[in-house]
Amino acid sequence: MFHSCYHAIIFEFQSTVYIIQRVICLDNEIIHNGQFNIGHICTKQQCDKGLQEKVAMRFISRALERTDYTFGDIERNSNRFANALLELGLSEGDIVFSFLPKTSEQFFSFLGILKIKAIAGTLFSSFGEDALLDRLGDSKARCLITRKSSMRKINRIRGRLPELKHIILIDVPVHESPDILSYSQLTQNAPDVFDIPQTGPETPSVLHYTSGSTGKPKGVLHVHKSVLHQSSTSKEILNLTDKDIYWCTADQGWVTGTSYGIIGPWSLSVTQVHFAGGYDPALWFEILKREKITVWYTAPTALRMLMQQSDDFFADYDLSSLKYIFSVGEPLNPEIVHWSRRVLKKEIYDTWFQTETGGIMISNRPGFTVKPGSMGKPVGSVEAAIIEDGGTVLTEGKRGNLCLKLGWPSMFSTYLNNREAYESKFKNGFYYSGDTAYTDEEGYYWFTGRSDDVINTAGHLISPFEIESALLEIPEIAESGVIGAPDDLLFEKVVAFVALKEQCEWTRDLELKIRIKVSNKVSTIATPQEIIVVDSVPKNKSGKIMRRVLKAIYKGEDPGDLSTMED
Amino acid sequence: MTTFERLNEIFREVFDDDTIELKPETTANDVDGWDSLSHVNLILAIETKFAITFSQKELLTFRNVGDLYKSIEKKLESRK
Repeated sequence: MFHSCYHAIIFEFQSTVYIIQRVICLDNEIIHNGQFNIGHICTKQQCDKGLQEKVAMRFISRALERTDYTFGDIERNSNRFANALLELGLSEGDIVFSFLPKTSEQFFSFLGILKIKAIAGTLFSSFGEDALLDRLGDSKARCLITRKSSMRKINRIRGRLPELKHIILIDVPVHESPDILSYSQLTQNAPDVFDIPQTGPETPSVLHYTSGSTGKPKGVLHVHKSVLHQSSTSKEILNLTDKDIYWCTADQGWVTGTSYGIIGPWSLSVTQVHFAGGYDPALWFEILKREKITVWYTAPTALRMLMQQSDDFFADYDLSSLKYIFSVGEPLNPEIVHWSRRVLKKEIYDTWFQTETGGIMISNRPGFTVKPGSMGKPVGSVEAAIIEDGGTVLTEGKRGNLCLKLGWPSMFSTYLNNREAYESKFKNGFYYSGDTAYTDEEGYYWFTGRSDDVINTAGHLISPFEIESALLEIPEIAESGVIGAPDDLLFEKVVAFVALKEQCEWTRDLELKIRIKVSNKVSTIATPQEIIVVDSVPKNKSGKIMRRVLKAIYKGEDPGDLSTMED
Repeated sequence: MTTFERLNEIFREVFDDDTIELKPETTANDVDGWDSLSHVNLILAIETKFAITFSQKELLTFRNVGDLYKSIEKKLESRK
């Protein structure tokens, strides 16, 4: 005990020294006068540099119409929202969520929330009511910014969210009731100047929920100093400069959407393109061409979908402005790298990080030999290691837990209301990511899988537990077990095993009921791609679903040791 | 209830959105959450509720709700 405490103190000291060194090192570039406020750095600081007329965001509608917002516009609009929040009685430490598709208000509100030192949470725009309830309820969110079209699902859960005092709708012209408010009415007369309070490095900033294989999703809380790492990796890995036109396709509901779709690029004065629509090869390539995108950050599933286009399709698009393509969210198959080299004549650089890490930890990057299929090497001062369950650091070629040495600036500060789960992620000064990998003789990292049952479908982490729970709400279903199975397009697809109650039959109506239930309760992306009816779902003697057995059954493999399975 | 009203109800159920008011010119751009995954749910719902089926080829020709509605009407008519 004494031994481990001693190590912890030494380690804490080392990481503090490291953070101070980083702060000093970046003080002239990002941090001025000790002001770590992300809202300040992304807006006011840019205006103070004389960039108030520079385009910060080119917003492209689904019909490809452009609206440009300068850094001055972003500053004024986020100031108005910050003032409106104060007027509503919100203050430092309060949690304010947005539940929006890509709209300009998503960006203004995010920065406005941070400016008052409240905590900005973002929710993926296709979440269903259970997913919303879990996140808004656990966080005790005080305010939600959304659209009228989401009110049906919100009204169903509102009674179970006593702390949720205000709902702000971005698409109604006037307030609908004392607590259902109009964004435009709130902000139209709010002052467009705001005195951002001095904000220290450890002040809570951004909250994203992440799914685990058991239990409810966990709220990953970040602090304002994360901007140091998000900024440095935007510069050193994504190679962003203030001359670039940059497009990150990630939804702002996920960590990539905030770390690299808002914070990192704007801290470096970069012009960002944001597109309101979803995946569409012709529209996407029109945007890449027309907007002369120079750096593009996207996801393997989108790239795999693009691979389905004929090679001729790409001949119509001049991509000469495009210097770099980066990928994140799931492993980048070697086939995509080879396809891009052959068809797009571009290298794709894979990057790896997690909600908890807040920024890129391992990556390929320009000027670096890409080994197709590898995640690359740790970035900057990040120290990674492959460690076996017992704690031994493994040598090259051996598969184990992918771990990170503590001390990177964008490290999450806690799981909200779940310190125990937070502490369980750390052992002997290392963070255990839940991914498994190995290294090769040149120090490249190669992803091999997950050490838990979390499903990664199209770059979204999904909890099998959340889907199983939604399935059990269907009266015809007696038991459910959900797994991720390999998929050529999505990396993993959701496969549900269901046992029906006696006298219930499998019908097309039931299939529809299941699909809509999961889609509306959890998320569209959680909808099972395959539903398999079984007599019973394998469980161990304590009633836990044996997903490894389901995976083996699905793949036609030997399920291994079944001694713990219930009779 | 007319076929168009039934179609509107199906959209509201699939997208969990009471504010949906379909028009013939409505496209995926006009409905929050109408993406490739929810589209599968939508087509399955229409096929199940109207007891009809669409071919893959037909699905590719639908430019908007008006096209979808006409196809449903045609299939229902041919059953009479």
